[in-house]
Amino acid sequence: MDASIAEQQRILASDWGGGKSPFGTSWSKFMMWIFIISDALTFAGFLIAYGFMRSISPSWPDQTQVFDMRLITFMTFALISSSAVMACAVGAARAGDAKAAFRFLMLTIVGGVIFLGCQVYEWSHFIGEGATLTSNPWGVAQFAASFFLITGFHGFHVLSGVVILAVVAIRAAMGKYSADSVENAGLYWHFIDVVWVFVFAFFYLM
Amino acid sequence: MSEHAHPVGYKSYFKTWFWLLVLTLLALGLGYAPLGAGFKAFLLVTVTLAKIVLIATIFMHLQYEKLNLVMLTFAPLILAIILFAFTFPETQGSATHVLMVR
Repeated sequence: MDASIAEQQRILASDWGGGKSPFGTSWSKFMMWIFIISDALTFAGFLIAYGFMRSISPSWPDQTQVFDMRLITFMTFALISSSAVMACAVGAARAGDAKAAFRFLMLTIVGGVIFLGCQVYEWSHFIGEGATLTSNPWGVAQFAASFFLITGFHGFHVLSGVVILAVVAIRAAMGKYSADSVENAGLYWHFIDVVWVFVFAFFYLM
Repeated sequence: MSEHAHPVGYKSYFKTWFWLLVLTLLALGLGYAPLGAGFKAFLLVTVTLAKIVLIATIFMHLQYEKLNLVMLTFAPLILAIILFAFTFPETQGSATHVLMVR
């Protein structure tokens, strides 16, 4: 009898025995990770489709000639900086410093808004030069189509990220403060940064 | 459960930010470098993966998470590579004329 109780305790103490979370996170953080994983697959689909179309196209425009790379680099700088500030916001929230967390969150939002502003400028410039989903002055139709779909999908993620961060920041200012919610919003924001790193390298530079 | 007893790592976040910017400039330089397409792609993938690992381990706190979660987060990357490996050979085959219709 004692042996079987000991055995049961040993099973419950193991990772998959049912006695504790196998992933060692709160449910909300785990759900955020599950969402990020599925979203990462969506973006992987986009990037793989882009690679596919590019390799079947007889030629592909030189992106560094079409796009203003100074602007793209500045956008990357803005997003990476906002991601670093977001990490500080999570740290402050975990330490229980609501005021610092709020300030860092606002800085993160500023970074996101700067990024979005640059993207609006980039899109309007690109469209003004004659790019549409089905044609563009530089080469195969798939070039502009990939641009609109990939950067558009990413930009919409940034927009939703800014909204989520604004909600979290307002709640932090109101004192309805939860370190978990800041951390989960932060995970989403870093994920947006991760996606942009891929887009920057594969769409603009490769 | 997720209240880990690690200090607020402002300094490590700053360092990570710095290295991410360095890697971004490196990627930018690679974009302009007169290299073969395949070699350039390999170097860009390497720099990109280095940035991803930095963001994931430090900003997204994977260094403090259990190995189970870490393995879960890298599952999509493996699935994406499988998808890539299975679709890419088609670029040499019959799909070409279908997609080139304008």
